[in-house]
Amino acid sequence: MEVFTVQILKSYLLIGAALMMIGMIGFLARRNLIVMFLSAEMMLQGVALTLVGFGKYYGNWHGQVFTIVILTVAACEASIALALILILYNRRSSLDVTLWQEIREPGQPASEDDLTAEAEAAVVEEGPETYPHLVPAGAEPAHPRDSWTVRRI
Amino acid sequence: MTRDLYLAFFVVLFGATGTYLLLPHSHGARKPRNVHAVGAGLSTFGLLLYSLFWTAPGPWVSGLFFYAFGFGAIAAAVLTVTSRDPTHSALWFAAVVLSTAGLFLLAGAQFLAVGTVIVYAGAIIVTFLFVIMLAQMEGRAPYDRAARMPFRATCTCFVLFLGILWSLFHMVPAPSAGIGNSAFSQILPLTNDLAASATGSNKADARMVVDRALRPTALLSDSKKRLKPHVAGLGETLYTDHLVTVELAGALLFMALIGALSIATPRAPVRPGQIPGSNP
Repeated sequence: MEVFTVQILKSYLLIGAALMMIGMIGFLARRNLIVMFLSAEMMLQGVALTLVGFGKYYGNWHGQVFTIVILTVAACEASIALALILILYNRRSSLDVTLWQEIREPGQPASEDDLTAEAEAAVVEEGPETYPHLVPAGAEPAHPRDSWTVRRI
Repeated sequence: MTRDLYLAFFVVLFGATGTYLLLPHSHGARKPRNVHAVGAGLSTFGLLLYSLFWTAPGPWVSGLFFYAFGFGAIAAAVLTVTSRDPTHSALWFAAVVLSTAGLFLLAGAQFLAVGTVIVYAGAIIVTFLFVIMLAQMEGRAPYDRAARMPFRATCTCFVLFLGILWSLFHMVPAPSAGIGNSAFSQILPLTNDLAASATGSNKADARMVVDRALRPTALLSDSKKRLKPHVAGLGETLYTDHLVTVELAGALLFMALIGALSIATPRAPVRPGQIPGSNP
């Protein structure tokens, strides 16, 4: 039976630390709510690697049991986070996290990143197909132009 | 030790520069293709330097798989964080999960490897549905093309990483080095010494602590130093030593179910001119 030495434990800890750190970068730097959620899950993966390595090194099951608890918490977090993302998207029609700055406690200065800076639009290549322009016929019915029919970016 | 610290410094330097170049620009400006190439090259170089610290758990096949899964996990993690398209992020995250499951397998955690793949496969499919429903494809949205303070985020995280590396280099191995899977015969004398060295009224307490920490059901191998059958041993320790934990996990899942239902239940929209809460 090969021995799980302290060097192997250390390499598991190193990979777990790298996963944790990269997940933290994603959570801090990205603005898409779904990508932030994925980054948080990645941090949990790093911690799970660390726990499994420690459990193997000390020759007991506790690390794997803790990892099962982490899996449970990750499942709960996924369900609640996706429910929250759904209702946040329904309110603002956007997955941008910087639109929700006013829910911080009052008196906080606004974040320094300027939200007015529009990103450079992606290049949309014109396809070979053409669509006919339909001439509107008849009188337009008196209805308010509903905002929810227009998809906002 | 000094050599390790210099190497760690270079790993952090190359990794931070490469990751910063790969992240989206903070104002959403388009980055030229060669900036991405330089960032990818620097990140790969940092990852290669980082792998000098690793030790494979065995020769040949297991070593090969260890390095493959380690590289795969970290590279896919960087790509998850830096890709503009959320669908690509979800797919790279699936690669991270598969690599982590492989590393679990190499550490002798078969049940967890399979469980991680099953649980996260479901989670990723649901996330993918959300991406398809809500997000805009191909990274068209401004919030996908712009990052939030990428320079400060990268600096913060890599300084934290350097701190973790520093503390790992100063890690002192356990007194009985290389206890491995045959822990029973080597830990037990140590902890018995600990219990014997306690005096007076502390003695019973120390004995109780030792007995509780080292119950025979909690060890990977039985008293004859043979490895227990995997799932049987895990189930035994789950339902003897950690029974309350299992119950708590079930209660937590149930509460998350109720919470998600109460959060996501659609409510009737409030029409203009209507008082909220009153029936139309």
